[in-house]
Amino acid sequence: MPAPLPIPTHTVPHSKLEDLQGLGIGIFATTVALSFLTHLGLLTGQTAGLALIISYMTGYSFSWVFFLINIPFYAFAWSRLGPEFTIKSVICVTTVSVLMAYVPDLMPFGDLNPIFGTIAFGIICGLGLLGVFRHKGSLGGLGVVALIIQDKTGFRAGLVQLIADGVLFSVAFLLFPAETVLYSLLGAAVLNGVIAFNHRRDRYISD
Amino acid sequence: MTDANKHSPIEDAQGLIIGSSMMSFSVLILTHLGLITGQTAGLAILISYITGYPFGAVFFVINLPFYWLGYKGIGLHFVIKTFIAVGLLSVISSAMPNYISFDMLDPLAGALLFGLIAGAGLIILIRHGASLGGIGILAIYLQDKTGFRAGWTQLIFDGLLFLVAFFTLDTAIVVYSFLGAAIVNVVIGINHRRDRYIAK
Repeated sequence: MPAPLPIPTHTVPHSKLEDLQGLGIGIFATTVALSFLTHLGLLTGQTAGLALIISYMTGYSFSWVFFLINIPFYAFAWSRLGPEFTIKSVICVTTVSVLMAYVPDLMPFGDLNPIFGTIAFGIICGLGLLGVFRHKGSLGGLGVVALIIQDKTGFRAGLVQLIADGVLFSVAFLLFPAETVLYSLLGAAVLNGVIAFNHRRDRYISD
Repeated sequence: MTDANKHSPIEDAQGLIIGSSMMSFSVLILTHLGLITGQTAGLAILISYITGYPFGAVFFVINLPFYWLGYKGIGLHFVIKTFIAVGLLSVISSAMPNYISFDMLDPLAGALLFGLIAGAGLIILIRHGASLGGIGILAIYLQDKTGFRAGWTQLIFDGLLFLVAFFTLDTAIVVYSFLGAAIVNVVIGINHRRDRYIAK
């Protein structure tokens, strides 16, 4: 088990307005990234990935599926992580859902190479999520359950999420062409690389 | 885990690649809409529109005279990183239209998206010790030599650039361009904080 990161005691807090612009930009970038995926019919991991699979299978819009699928997680979040976190999650998730109903129509792609598109998704979504994380937002979902499992059993939250993504992509292999799933895996890997490299609370010091 | 106060070479490499890629994406949005922006990239885009030469080549050539000033005024690491960032932007922005195009792009949404993406891209480049060269280097050099504030040099340059644009391009194009450039500056103004992002 790796040693916990040293989190500096000296911090430079964000003002409310700074948080608002940070979360706004982060969420907007995330929806732009997701519109690369929906244009190409590709998937990703976590709650958004689950919502994409359901949306492709049922024909319901990603916006509605993502919004509805997150509701059960708020109950867990409320008891485990408190009202402030939960309310922030509700606002962030709802904003993504609403924006996803409009953003893809404001910038419809003509040609989009799938390898280019999946890498662009990974980079832009990674940057968007960094913005959301650094301003203490959350896009809800599986991450909350992973934290609760870690609390109750000591089983690492990161492993829970990895297992969830493993199951998600295994199911995807059964439901979608192999090419679709492989492109999707590339994007998810880029996304996780961007976050792993750059999400450093010892470097971006703000609480 | 690497030192919190210093980026490793690999971390800088991914920062420069991602930052330059974001800048290329923002240039793709600008050129699709026929918009311009400020600073050296804006000058290169304007020249590219007027002469028909591709942006990547114009931007690369325009930057060449400034590296010597950057080396004398700021330092070798900065100049090397800036050369890499400018080179990456020139190459990636030239290749990008082969892989992505927009069917349609709402100009207001496009200007907003440009501002956010370019703002984020520039913050990444700055945090990793690079720049996009040109006028910014000249501005810092002038401030060091004469005390004339770098921000003023850049503002005067952008003023002249937009004045030329006003006489050569449609008014609507200039207004959308101005909006996009304003968003870039607001994003950087709020988020570029050395006291928060402490790594060099």
